[in-house]
Amino acid sequence: MYQALLTRRYLTSKIMPLLSAAAVMLCVAMVLIVWSVMGGFLNMLLSSGKQLMGDVSIAWPIYGIAHYEQLIDDLEASPKVDRATPTIEALGLLKLPTDEPRQVQVIGIDPEGFNAVTGYVDRLYWKRRAKPLPGDTHGEDPRLKLPAGFEAYGKTLSYPDPARNQDLPAVVTGLEVSRFYERTRAGYVVSVLGRILPSFEVTITVAPISQGGSVVDTSSQSFVVANEFRTGLYEIDANQVLMPIDVLQEMLQLEEQSIPDPNWAPGQVEFDADGVPHPVVAKTVGVKPARATNILVNGAKGVSPQQLEVEVRGIYETWAQRYAERGARQGVPEPERIQIFTWENKPGLRTFIQAVKKETALVLVLFMIISLVAVVLILAIFWSMVSEKTKDIGILRAVGASRAGVAWLFLRYGLVIGVLGSLVGGGLAFVIVRNINPIHEWMGRALGLVIWDPQVYYFTRIPNQVEPSKAAIVMISGAVCAMLGALIPAARAAWMDPVKALRFE
Amino acid sequence: MTQTAAQPEANAPARDDAPIIEAKEVFKTYRLGRVDVPVLRGASLSAREGECVAVLGASGSGKSTLLHLLGGLDRADRQPIDVDAANHVAHRGRSIDGFSAHELDQYRRSTVGFVFQFYHLLPELTVLQNVLIAAMVLHGRVGYMGRSAALRERATQLLDRFGLAHRLKHRPVELSGGERQRVAIARALINQPELLLADEPTGNLDQKTGGSILDAMMALRSETKQTMVIVTHDQSTAARADRVVRLVDGKVAR
Ligand SMILES: Nc1ncnc2c1ncn2[C@@H]1O[C@H](COP(=O)(O)OP(=O)(O)OP(=O)(O)O)[C@@H](O)[C@H]1O
Ligand SMILES: [Mg+2]
Repeated sequence: MYQALLTRRYLTSKIMPLLSAAAVMLCVAMVLIVWSVMGGFLNMLLSSGKQLMGDVSIAWPIYGIAHYEQLIDDLEASPKVDRATPTIEALGLLKLPTDEPRQVQVIGIDPEGFNAVTGYVDRLYWKRRAKPLPGDTHGEDPRLKLPAGFEAYGKTLSYPDPARNQDLPAVVTGLEVSRFYERTRAGYVVSVLGRILPSFEVTITVAPISQGGSVVDTSSQSFVVANEFRTGLYEIDANQVLMPIDVLQEMLQLEEQSIPDPNWAPGQVEFDADGVPHPVVAKTVGVKPARATNILVNGAKGVSPQQLEVEVRGIYETWAQRYAERGARQGVPEPERIQIFTWENKPGLRTFIQAVKKETALVLVLFMIISLVAVVLILAIFWSMVSEKTKDIGILRAVGASRAGVAWLFLRYGLVIGVLGSLVGGGLAFVIVRNINPIHEWMGRALGLVIWDPQVYYFTRIPNQVEPSKAAIVMISGAVCAMLGALIPAARAAWMDPVKALRFE
Repeated sequence: MTQTAAQPEANAPARDDAPIIEAKEVFKTYRLGRVDVPVLRGASLSAREGECVAVLGASGSGKSTLLHLLGGLDRADRQPIDVDAANHVAHRGRSIDGFSAHELDQYRRSTVGFVFQFYHLLPELTVLQNVLIAAMVLHGRVGYMGRSAALRERATQLLDRFGLAHRLKHRPVELSGGERQRVAIARALINQPELLLADEPTGNLDQKTGGSILDAMMALRSETKQTMVIVTHDQSTAARADRVVRLVDGKVAR
């Protein structure tokens, strides 16, 4: 009882406790901001991985997998598989209308299947908006002027050609590929070239690779950009181009081809019954099946990526058994050589995720060590406060307060300071994290300080979510730390000799 | 009666015939560096129920020290050589030297009211809170909440009797020395202790103020039949006590 009264009085009459509360506040805010941003970054990485490739991917780069339609049928027959879709990944060169070249990753997709696995249609950027974004006070977002249903072109990867009165195959590029846009604070982009986009034309060049592994020839084709997509993952948005899988197959010579009779040679003639010579028509001895370099698989509800990976591996093995001619060149890689991985283990992403996890842990440990400084600070402040309040302690002991009661007075005081500092620190962290992007932009403009470089951190926006569980952990730790700092001074107060304390001047 | 109380066992049950408080041949030596400063050298003092004993003595003779021992604020030196001498401070025949920490806290809380030579008020609290703090310590949170209205009433009445009714919300720094001493007395009395130990309650005051405070204390005492040990160097104060003892050379002389 008297502890509560004195805590209140001490708090309102002294500057020292407010200083220690400020120390707690800063530590709590610091740890929470770092944890939220880094943790959010990790979450974004993880969720973007799934968005890009579904749960599990089968990959056989460059040569591709033959008979993949059969494999997909087998996969989709499994109750653990929801959907599977083929893709082709290849390096390519993209030439913009401004004649600038870009090195890109070209991905051939079956739009319907690819959307079923990854939901890419949701990420198409150019969609009509009925209402401007909250920060777009003048209604400057170009999407407000788009015709309704514009995204249909992106959805089917085709674009009408008025001259020929038919739809031509089109591509969808990442929003950062062209570098024609500037991000605004409200979150939409405006063209720096002053024209209404998209639907500009690009030329894409890819290099088919021979069975021997060398570049055969290059093939180029022009496409209209039917739409652009934004995943928020800079690496992807700046590098990826989606196009119809059949078009890319042809460009890479991975489409179905007939195999000419190896004995046939030009100039051969054969004689008919009348002895009249005829040139020998090229004969085919078989067909070389079309190929896909990747098969993206989505699991059924309740099937984890790990379970799905095992299932996919099994299905692949059975599938591969069917073909007598196995091997990389035949497009039926041996089961032990084929690459099957979950999105978390996607090469490149995996090491990156591990690195980010380690980095987060490291930064947190560093900040916790810094927080120890706050504990010592509180210890020092409380030590001097106990000295200053020695006489009060003597008086309290003289009127019968127990040692535990006096110790609790200071512990409680530490706790109140900790709770106060934690609450304010938590609130501060919340406000800062929620507004971290505007703050960061402002820092960039006012101080020329750009910490979050999308080229380094993949994402164009800094994560701005505070998880309640993290906030709770950090704030409770803050309060407990403050109490720990008060522990030794409280013990000192408890063991003071009452008479000596009373004689203290 | 003094004879029966002469050799109590450490934790013998309290007896009604024993003095409320008794110091028997107590010793207290302060150690300053390597020099021992003997202050009390076998001082004995006892007070029966309802008695008012005045302790006179020169400055530095150990009056405050003795009072601290009686109030359980400090412990007398142990006398290892003379085990049978039974040097101790006893409350109703029970040696407080043998008290557990909890019993000692309880003793200071409810049995004793202490008025210090130098007021010792809590500077952050108001006059009223300074008086009530002793009640808070005694009753604990729940107990205090239950009777807070009654206790506030009692504290206000006590302060009123000492002429401080209009200063309840003031801080100690805003009061004069005499006013502070009256607050300290009210604090000592709030829990209605059976024993009031007052260390020069009027020492810092002029004759008239001191006299009126003493009047109020005596009037209260006649109502409650409180036992009192009052340290003073003022003859007129001593004259109002039932009995006067002198502290000379660390011993009590009659
Ligand atoms: N904690 C202590 N440490 C060292 N010496 C002490 C301590 N407390 C008291 N003394 C010494 O003991 C002696 C007696 O002190 P005490 O306060 O009991 O005297 P007093 O009779 O109350 O004097 P006064 O009338 O001036 O109040 C003094 O010489 C004092 O210096
Ligand atoms: Mg004294």
